[in-house]
Formats: sequence, C-alpha cells, structure tokens
Amino acid sequence: MPTSHTAFAADRRAILRSAILLVGGIAIAPELLAATGPTFFSPSERAQLDLLCETMIPTTDTPGAIAAGVPAFLDTLMANWASPKSRAHIQGVIASLARAAEADTGKPLAALSAAERADWLARRDSALLAAKDPAYRQFKQLVLTGYYYSEAGATQELRYELVPGAWEPSIPVTADTRSWAA
Amino acid sequence: MTFDAIVVGSGMSGGWAAKELAERGLKVLVLERGKSLEHGADYTDGLSPWELHQYGMVSENEADAEYPVQSQCYAFSAATKHLWVKDSDHPYTTPPDRPFLWIRGYHLGGRSIMWARQSYRMSEMDFEANKKDGHGVDWPIRYADMASWYDHVETFAGISGEANGLDHLPDGKFLPPMALTPPEAEFGRKVEAAFPTRRLITGRCAHLTAPTKEHEELGRSACQYRSLCERGCSFGAYFSSLSATLPAAQRTKNVTIVTDAIVHSVVQDPKTGKATGVRVIDRNTKAGRTYDARMVFLCASTLGTAQVMLNSRSAEDPRGIANRSDQVGRNLIDHLSGLGASGIYPGHADIYHRGRRPNGFYIPRYRNVTEPADGYVRGYGFQGRILRDGWQRGMSEAGVGADLKARLRKPGPWRVSLSGFGEMLPRPENRITLSETNTDKWGIPVPHIDVSLGPNEHAMIAQVGSDARAMLELAGCTDIEVRKHYGGVGLGIHEMGTARMGHDPNTSVVNRYNQAHDVPNLFVTDGASMSSSGCQNPSLTYMALSARAAHHAAAFLKEGKI
Repeated sequence: MPTSHTAFAADRRAILRSAILLVGGIAIAPELLAATGPTFFSPSERAQLDLLCETMIPTTDTPGAIAAGVPAFLDTLMANWASPKSRAHIQGVIASLARAAEADTGKPLAALSAAERADWLARRDSALLAAKDPAYRQFKQLVLTGYYYSEAGATQELRYELVPGAWEPSIPVTADTRSWAA
Repeated sequence: MTFDAIVVGSGMSGGWAAKELAERGLKVLVLERGKSLEHGADYTDGLSPWELHQYGMVSENEADAEYPVQSQCYAFSAATKHLWVKDSDHPYTTPPDRPFLWIRGYHLGGRSIMWARQSYRMSEMDFEANKKDGHGVDWPIRYADMASWYDHVETFAGISGEANGLDHLPDGKFLPPMALTPPEAEFGRKVEAAFPTRRLITGRCAHLTAPTKEHEELGRSACQYRSLCERGCSFGAYFSSLSATLPAAQRTKNVTIVTDAIVHSVVQDPKTGKATGVRVIDRNTKAGRTYDARMVFLCASTLGTAQVMLNSRSAEDPRGIANRSDQVGRNLIDHLSGLGASGIYPGHADIYHRGRRPNGFYIPRYRNVTEPADGYVRGYGFQGRILRDGWQRGMSEAGVGADLKARLRKPGPWRVSLSGFGEMLPRPENRITLSETNTDKWGIPVPHIDVSLGPNEHAMIAQVGSDARAMLELAGCTDIEVRKHYGGVGLGIHEMGTARMGHDPNTSVVNRYNQAHDVPNLFVTDGASMSSSGCQNPSLTYMALSARAAHHAAAFLKEGKI
C-alpha cells in the first residue's frame, strides 16, 4: 500500500496512461492537466489533496479517487469552474484539514499510515458534517461527484447504463447488486 | 411572396399550428427567433456522465454572469446549456421585491425540447371555474369543444397513461402506461385507504411506450428509459416540435421555416384592420424586413406573444394590436411550484429498479372537488415518485474510506417526493408591459414583468405543505422535509393568460376560436390564450387549442371570412 505522495504520483501516472488508452476523447483533457502538473493548486496543496481524496475514497477491489482522476477533476474545477468563494472554500478545506491532521495526530498527513489517515479523517468528517461546515460539505460533494461520475466510479464501482432500453420497476436485490451511478 | 399564414414561434404551439395549417393545404411560414436546431445532431443524449464537460457542471462564474435565471431551472446543465437563453442577452426587469424567473429557450422547437412532458387534459370543472367563482372571465369553450381535439393531439403526439375514469381528469387516447414501483403502488393504496376520494395514478407523459405506424413514419421510436430527455432525444421517443410536428408539417411541402428571425411586431392595415404580416429583425445582422401573409398565428410563448402584441403599436392602436380591452399582457399566471415534501419510505429493501423512468405518479386535484379547501378556491395536484436513493446521499452523511464506498455501492433507502402544482388565479394587475426607454440589442423594448401572489395562493400554499406531510406521515415515512414555495414566480415554467380567451371583446383578447376579437386574421394559440390555468401541466391543452384554431382558421380563410 503506497503511503508517500511520491508513490501515489507514480501510481497516478501509470493509471493515467492506461486511462487515456481506455477512455480516449473527451476524458483526456483533465487527465492531461494532471499528467503535466497542477494548473490551479500549488504542488504542496495538490499533494495534500491527493492524500485527502484517496483517504476519502481509497483503492479497494475497485479504483480509488486518484485512479478515477478526482484530484485532477478538482484541479480543473478550481481552474475553470469555481467562483472565488468556491476556490476559497476548497483551498481553505485543504489547508485546514492538513493543519488539523497535524494538530490531532502530531504527524503531518503524509507521515500517517493509510489506516491512521482513514481513522483521523473519519473523526474530522463526522465533526465537520455535524457542524454543517459549508466549505467541507462542498469539498465532500465535489470529491464524491468527481468519483461517482468518473468512468471508473460509475462503471467499476457502481453501474451505469447509457441506454437501459427498458424500465423494470422491481428487480430483486442480490449480493451482486450495485447502485446506479445515474 | 405572400404566405397564407405566418406562424410566429416553432415550439409546442407553433409546431402544431404549422402542421395543421400545412396539412390543410395552406402555404405556411414558420418564424423562429432563435438558432436552428437539428433533431439528433444537436442533442447531447449520447454522452455518459464522465463525457460531459466538467461532469455537467456549468462554471459558477458563467452561470452567475450569463445564466442567473436559467441556471435555477432543474434542467440546466453543461449538457443543456446551449438550449437556454443567455439572460445577459435577453434582459427584462421586475420590481425589486417581486422576482419573476423567466425560463426560456430560443431555438427551433423552443421549450418543446426541454419540457417535462407531463400531459393532462383540462376538464369541465376547469373550463367552468372562472364563471362559477367569478375570477377571470368565462371561458367561451367547454370540455365538449375540446374533447375531440385532445383525442387528435394525443393520438399524434403519443401519450402514455392509463384510463382512470375521473371526471375532473378526463381519460384520453393512451399508449400503455409506465409501471409504478411497488412502493409507489403501496403508497397509493395507503393514501386511498385514508382519503377515499384521493387517487394515485401513473403519470401521463408524452413518451412512446408502444409507437404506432403514424409515429414510426416520422422516424420516432420507443422510449429507452434513459431520462436524458431535456438534452433532446435522438430516438424521438418523446413528443417535441423537432421529433413530430415540424417534420410532419415539412412533409406537406407547404412549409417554409426561417430561423434567426425575431418578430418585432405584427403589421396591420389601418384601412381594413387586418394583419398583413410581420416585421422581423434578423438575429445576426439586425437588419429589418417584412413578411406578408393572409393571416398570422402568434405562438411565441405567453410572454413572447404579449411582447409582440404590445410592440405592434399604431396610431389606431397605441396600446398594441388587438388590445381594445387593455387585457394584452395582463392576467399572467404561472403554476405554484417548488412545493411539497420528501421523506424516506419504509421497507422494500429487497427490491430495486432498473432503467430510468422519465415519469412518476400523479395525485389529481381533490381540494374543492371531493374535499373542501381551507379558505381558497381552485386546487392543486401532486407529481411524485418513490425510488431508491443513489450515491448522492453520501454527500451529506458522515463516513469516509472503504466503509463509505461499501455503503454507497448499495442502493439507499426508498425516497418519496411529492411536488405540488397549484392553480394561480388570473388577476389583471399581474402583467407584462414594455419599457418606454430601454431596448434590447435588437431594438425591441425590454419587458417589465410584475407578478405577485395573492391571498388565495398563499392559503393554498399552506395546505399543499400540510397535505403532503400528512400523506407521508400516514405512510410511515421518516425524515420528512416540507418544501415551501420558492418565492419567485416563473419556475413552474407554465406561463399563461396574457391574451385571454373570452366572450366579450371589451374584457378579453381572443374569442372561442383563438381569433383576436379586434383583428379577425390574427390568432393566438399558445399559453397566452388561457383564461385560467387549471392545475394540470398545460402543454397538452396548448396543442389541442392550436390544432383546433388552425382547423377553424383554415376554414375561415377558405370561406373568405377573414
């Protein structure tokens, strides 16, 4: 299990190459941005963002957030989509979570093991949502959107049918049932 | 050349007027103010979520600067952005404390591309309402005048639904209904047990569940249950001008369609009082030109039609054409919307659904029908659905990591949502006027829209919420949230009433044939002609009115009456 940012980055590059081959076309643009480095976030922000996204949605039997291009998606959003308020929200969340990690655990985010990061983020997540922290809510919303609408999230983790062809109002839920991405 | 008829607008009403006039042998010119849109080629329904620009999210700065109103519509996204007007290009004003949210699409086919496709007949109760309670003017037509025209438009458009035998929501010519989910059917049984005269029925929608030969001849095919409808449907599975009426009109070889032609005003001959054509501003070059015709159909949408009429000023008619009554632009109605409740529906964890049904259930109006109302006239119906939550629930629930993934991998609880649509009363002070000083970039006076809700609407809004809560509670729902009215009128996207139909030329604009009282060869067949709104989604009624008016207008022309 890679724990350093460097290892994540190597993983990401490898996965990006395959993603470009697999996806092609429209999906390339944000991936290329990631491959050539951040366009919006500073390198240190991007490193923290990678860790936070992958902790929120880790690689399991399906791709995690980095493989699904979530940090790259957020980077593109901040460069092209976000209002000044949203930018301040997301940059503020990254900075405050990084500070909180160190304050809560005594170690920087990158120095924690994946398991330690997961435990710590679960506690922060619970507290911030309970407090209805608007910036964190937006952050989580964008991370989940970036994951579950990605091709990996929508088709490997969940299921998506562009053309279902039929409406079945009741099918049995089985052990294999996955939620529809949309 | 002189056309037999000019149809202003190519949307829901204009498409029908063009088809019916052309099929009767008339040479028809259809004028569309917006750009051309090609069925299929200009749709974005082939794109998966990850293929959409920014996964469908329109940039916040762009939305704020260019689409501050349109972006409030549920159907606005990166996949549909090209189908909504840039508010910044098409200004209008309102009083500061009374916002009106004008949702518009200027392109061939108009809002028939992005409409929500729910299709219900108005009933005798609706056509009698104004006369009975004294609000607005009496409709000069009754259900019997409309029944065969509803049959006609339903058969051609293709309406999916079931016969329910309700007098106040008449049955029609239906294609097979879309099935309810088991929780929806169960919820219906619970509601009907607690309130014996309420009904929960399958939604009636303009989708081909079993296309007929007539549909297939136009290249239309069956609904694929994608629910990407507002992006346009390459299958032609839902009714739109582009999938159905305009191709049928063009098949006759009697129709000329001109896009990018903004109608400035109707030209009227001061000697005869008749309309002789329209003045047009080219959207791209801003050059003016005139088209001549033996009659003019205004189908430019309720506010667009009023804008054209008010701008058709002459020495004889300083208030605008066909406006002796001073009712043009008045009585603007929208449906009360943004109301209702949602909650978690219990049980049924062992089943799920497959496919995306572009439809739901409907609870027809019961207030002031079979149950009394709490201090108001008219009433409301509910659209709703009960489906399982998706991953989006994770955005507001605590949890991260592998646990989060595992939880969101499985479908969430069943969630019920009830959306009330309430009838708004026609009131003359709710109106659109034109600025005396400001014009848009095509030199057309900027509209001013001034609409407020009255005591009847406020009383109704309160009961919509309490009824929705009561029905969810009796069904054992939890986490119930009641949605209040959004405050601004317009988001119902059901504007009506600005050139109302009536018996009396002194108090109404058009007669029982949608023919202007004052100008016999001028017809208004869109939502502007509605004397009242009912609480049903109105497009089906615009279709029937347009087809009916075209039938009579063609006959009048043939008989030399106009």
